[in-house]
Amino acid sequence: MFRELAALTRREFLKLARNPQAIFTSLMLPLLYLLLFGNGFSFNVAQFVNHALPPPEQQQQLSFLLDQYFRGAPNYYSYFAAGMVGFVTVTATLFIGANVIFDKLFGVFKRTRGTPAPSAAVFGSRLIAGSAQPILLAFFVMGLALAFAHVSGLHGLSVTLPVGPVGALQIVAAIVLLSVMFATVFLTFGVLIDVPQTYFAAVNLINLPVLLTSDALYPWGTMPAWLQNVSSYNPVSLAVNVLREVMFGSGAYPYGPGVYLLGLFAWAAVLVGIAILLVRRALRPLE
Amino acid sequence: MPTNVAIEVEGLKKIYNGKITAVDDISFQVRHGETFGFLGPNGAGKTTTVSMLTAGLRPTHGKAIVDGLDVSHDPEEVKRRIGVIFQESTADGDLTGRENLEVAAGCFGIPGSEGRSRAKLLIDQMQLSDAADRPAKTYSGGMRRRLELAVGLINRPRILFLDEPTLGLDPQGRAGFWSFIRKLREDDGLTVFVTTHYLDEADEMCDRIAIIDHGKIVATGTPTELKDRLGGDAVNLRIQDGAPDLTGLLSGQPGVLSVQKQDGTYRVKCQKGETFVPRAVAACTEAGAAVLGVTVKRPSLDEVFLEYTGREFREEEGPTATDRAVMLQRVQGQLRGRR
Repeated sequence: MFRELAALTRREFLKLARNPQAIFTSLMLPLLYLLLFGNGFSFNVAQFVNHALPPPEQQQQLSFLLDQYFRGAPNYYSYFAAGMVGFVTVTATLFIGANVIFDKLFGVFKRTRGTPAPSAAVFGSRLIAGSAQPILLAFFVMGLALAFAHVSGLHGLSVTLPVGPVGALQIVAAIVLLSVMFATVFLTFGVLIDVPQTYFAAVNLINLPVLLTSDALYPWGTMPAWLQNVSSYNPVSLAVNVLREVMFGSGAYPYGPGVYLLGLFAWAAVLVGIAILLVRRALRPLE
Repeated sequence: MPTNVAIEVEGLKKIYNGKITAVDDISFQVRHGETFGFLGPNGAGKTTTVSMLTAGLRPTHGKAIVDGLDVSHDPEEVKRRIGVIFQESTADGDLTGRENLEVAAGCFGIPGSEGRSRAKLLIDQMQLSDAADRPAKTYSGGMRRRLELAVGLINRPRILFLDEPTLGLDPQGRAGFWSFIRKLREDDGLTVFVTTHYLDEADEMCDRIAIIDHGKIVATGTPTELKDRLGGDAVNLRIQDGAPDLTGLLSGQPGVLSVQKQDGTYRVKCQKGETFVPRAVAACTEAGAAVLGVTVKRPSLDEVFLEYTGREFREEEGPTATDRAVMLQRVQGQLRGRR
């Protein structure tokens, strides 16, 4: 099993390395979001508060606003940058299943299925390679957002709490869980579906509702109560909550990062479990 | 199963979706070291049969034993022991030829160093050394086929399945491909099960042939046996004008089935043209009739094919059984979606 998994994983990474255009394109989307979208919405809340309220109330109102609207982040950009990490982790997994469909169309999948390589290795290799890319991209986004904070004229991610080893591990765990979860879902779609158009329709059916019901990009305080409720259970929100709590710390969250990680783990366990059932059936040795 | 039997098929049947019978109760045996041709029109059930024998498709009924293993009970071990060259190209175009082979070796659980050395050996054997480190998408059709063959041999199989292996290749590419197969048979005693659209290839390469039509095997035998069943060779003898009538003389020769005379030419149907001709020429000369010319025409496999299937081999056909099954599944899916 290990040799088969290693060989097929190597193939996935070789294919990735042979396609630098795809790597470049995958970096462009978060770069544009961080540069344009994030900066576009980054109005200065403090300036607004100072202008609107008398000095005795300014600090109190500012803290209240930051807690309510940005859940403890010092500004929208920092709030958004943490959200972007979750956002790109999901969007970078979208094409994983499409690669399976193209491999089916080009006969490569048939060749692999014609060997005794177990279905766990066939699926696992794609999951490893397919999750690694979003994970790396997530850290690229975080690094870029941190770097922007030091560029004059740009907003950037400001971390207001010291992130210790435990916090760093919690961030890594959140990103890995989110990436593996969505990579599993879209990979399963790829195994089950044979037509690219059907695949992309199915992916959009999952991708857009998940992202738009999360608090990855919207300020929490501007969301209606019902959306806040939905968002509380959204896996992207759960992952982003972990990041925001570790980086900014806040009384705005009812639970600590460990609870959100547990929630994320529960989502991952359920989705991976369903995927295993479906994929084992689809990839059984004899069709 | 007798020890010299590589493939044994008994009452094998495949019904798609409970409705479309692609393979209908077929039985045959392939001996070790033999090249067995499986011919039939499009949609006759060739690829479905190959898919079942290569443990890719579960038979609906019947038994298929490959290298002593039942494909239904031990599909992974069957896959480990066989090599398969699919109709379509399955090499990964982004990977080099060498990488394709190394990945294939890994899929068989072959350790890395062993996989690398086998890949190198096969690259040399298939004369791909110059292109080994180029992406496979840059290969010509013939090179891609040779790479497919190398991939199919990476696990050192005892039985090789070739499904339309030379489809789309030019004559040079086809000849080159078969010369590799011939060498493999001679060197390693490989058993080869082949489906092909080229009857000349089947005639030249196969020890025995089975013809399948509408999912049923309609004829089995060596190429010579199948051709002989059509009534033997057609020999034309052109005789000098003024010679006596030779019809009786020629009809009396051993193995002659019929004689017709037309404008100084005798058309003789006989069992073995090559033995009949010297005897006939000698007899005619002795009877004072000079033989001006002789032609011998053996029945071709095309004619055999036409006889058993009622169709020209390259005649355009409708969708295959597999195509029809897929279409049916899609229609059923759409109907379910509307409900």
